[in-house]
Amino acid sequence: MSLSRRRQLLPYLLLAPGLLWLAIFFLIPALNQLNVSLWSGTPETGQSFDWNWSNYGEALSDYHQHIIRSLLYAAAATLLAFVIAFPLAYFIAFKASPRLKPLLLLLIILPFFTSYLVRTNAWQTILADDGWIVNSLQTVGVVGDDGRLLATATAVITGITYNFLPFMALPLYVSLEKIDKRLIEAATDLYAGRFTAFRKVTVPLALPGIFAGSLLTFIPAVGDFVNAELLGTPRQYMIGNVIQSKFLRVQDYPEAAALSFVLMALILVGVFAYTRVLGRERLTEAAL
Amino acid sequence: MPDPFEKTLEQLLDGRDVSRRHFVRTLSASALAVSGAGTLLAACGGTEGTDKGGDAAKPVSVTHAKTAITELDFSNWPLYIDKQVLKDFDKQYGGKTKYVEDINDNDEFNGKVQEALRRGRSIDRDIVVLTDWMVARWLRAGWVEPIDKRNVPNAKNLQPTLASPKFDPKRQYSLPWQSGMTAIGYNPEKTGRELGSVDDLFDPKFKGRVTMLQDWRDSAGLLILADGKKSDDATLDDVMGAIDKLGEESEKGQIRKFTGNDYTRGFASGDLWVVVAYSGDVVQLKADNPKLEFLIPEEGALIWTDNMLIPQKPPHAYAAETLMNYVYDPVVAAKIAAYVNYVTPVRGAKEELAKEDPETAENQLIFPSDQTLAKLQPYIQLSLEEEREATEAMQRVTGA
Repeated sequence: MSLSRRRQLLPYLLLAPGLLWLAIFFLIPALNQLNVSLWSGTPETGQSFDWNWSNYGEALSDYHQHIIRSLLYAAAATLLAFVIAFPLAYFIAFKASPRLKPLLLLLIILPFFTSYLVRTNAWQTILADDGWIVNSLQTVGVVGDDGRLLATATAVITGITYNFLPFMALPLYVSLEKIDKRLIEAATDLYAGRFTAFRKVTVPLALPGIFAGSLLTFIPAVGDFVNAELLGTPRQYMIGNVIQSKFLRVQDYPEAAALSFVLMALILVGVFAYTRVLGRERLTEAAL
Repeated sequence: MPDPFEKTLEQLLDGRDVSRRHFVRTLSASALAVSGAGTLLAACGGTEGTDKGGDAAKPVSVTHAKTAITELDFSNWPLYIDKQVLKDFDKQYGGKTKYVEDINDNDEFNGKVQEALRRGRSIDRDIVVLTDWMVARWLRAGWVEPIDKRNVPNAKNLQPTLASPKFDPKRQYSLPWQSGMTAIGYNPEKTGRELGSVDDLFDPKFKGRVTMLQDWRDSAGLLILADGKKSDDATLDDVMGAIDKLGEESEKGQIRKFTGNDYTRGFASGDLWVVVAYSGDVVQLKADNPKLEFLIPEEGALIWTDNMLIPQKPPHAYAAETLMNYVYDPVVAAKIAAYVNYVTPVRGAKEELAKEDPETAENQLIFPSDQTLAKLQPYIQLSLEEEREATEAMQRVTGA
């Protein structure tokens, strides 16, 4: 094989492991689930593929509330995570001393050293009805005397925000860190106030990080079920709870698969729209 | 679970601090990803319902020749045996018991293995422990190997009340492992009064402090008893009516949550005041907080049994029967009862335990009196299709 020919093939060879991975662990299971989502019958009477689209109709009419709730909770958590993570990342990138930076970054991911379940369980204690947080909030009147935090939407959104915060903070940090400080100096030299410089220089340059961070937070948050399960009640359950129990408890595979596809489609459409708004090159930049 | 990890974990938990079912809950949540994958694989490639129509009432005769005991594959629920019992068994019979705590939920376990069973294959287990209704389902499907009773002479120690359940009237296929009660646990310090009836679950003063179990057999079952019905007379309509009532109370916010076994935590911490609970859990919680009460309501409560059975095509049937025989020895049964805090099905275990640990032997929740037993009803049995309908209706109410 000539050298030029090998050169031509090289990119494909490099891509092959990744593509193979995608095919085996995403494409094939996804197609299989698409097939399952069109089955009819129950495990006991026998199930077979027969283009049973009514699984989708039933799934949507029974559980559209859960889907809307999941999207709202995930959006709220993403927004909260951004509000918390941006100043944090900004501080670490611009204000913290170089010696302190690695330590601060370590602190962000430190909670990840324990299991997701343990972390979420800990919030049950923090938000407990007789816990100090609820008691102090009751004293200042934010929470009613017989009110509570655990088993409310607040608890679930708090849990999601907490659990996905590093996914927001780290991409933000990376994009802020990359900003050439001289650009901000140049802006101030050109008579921009600190706020204007921030708005016109820092934020646009941080957009790839904002984009990546919000996707990394939002997408897993929509499908999350652990926070709602541990910190919520049936009135807070998300679509992930439904899919999980449809698969494992009720063993209604067709409807569970249908719900998974509806969720996937909604997220794809959402991401697509988001990309359109922020510009496609941002997505690729963010990926870098 | 790798052995060293399991050992440490067991030392940490050591039976008392964390109840079996609470542990189950935590574990099963973390096992979801793994077992979920298994279930999904099981779902691949279409299934055909081959109900072999096993009739458990028909007499069967089976002979499992006595062989040397080399190995035994035993699947059970977590923290459901004193492991010393297995070590003693291995020492006495010279085999090696592979004891795996891989059953966290009847439906989930069934989902994992049903594909192999349906195709007539062995699931490489000699003993599995399943709750009554799931045993009934397996028997109907014909997935269970009969027990050669000549190898289990100690089966004569079975409590007479458990000797002929509807699903296996002659106990040809199954032997009880442990029983437990489903009733109401409450915290008198929080409720401010003694409770007496199932209706107390719906006292508006307890709004948002009440949990119910997410299995309709438990929660709807209790409500139906409260209506004065017997479990055996209950129909799908009764169950659906009870599930509707649960849905209303959940919408109103009276019921905070439908739980698996995770109510134990909130109940211990005081967040939950009134819970539909399993007896064994409450025994363990009472060890830390003696004020907690387990109420068998005046209208009655539920009793269920987890049963040992030998799945089809077992690798070591004789070893399985030898172990069944071993755990039906009252001395061994007493050891297990003292550890797991559920109701033992073995006659004579109480007397054995009284010698070592009289206090436990007197515990009404572990050794209920005849008076208590008279108030207990089995789970409601429905047909397969009806069970499915009820499970789906319950899922719409619990949201998950």
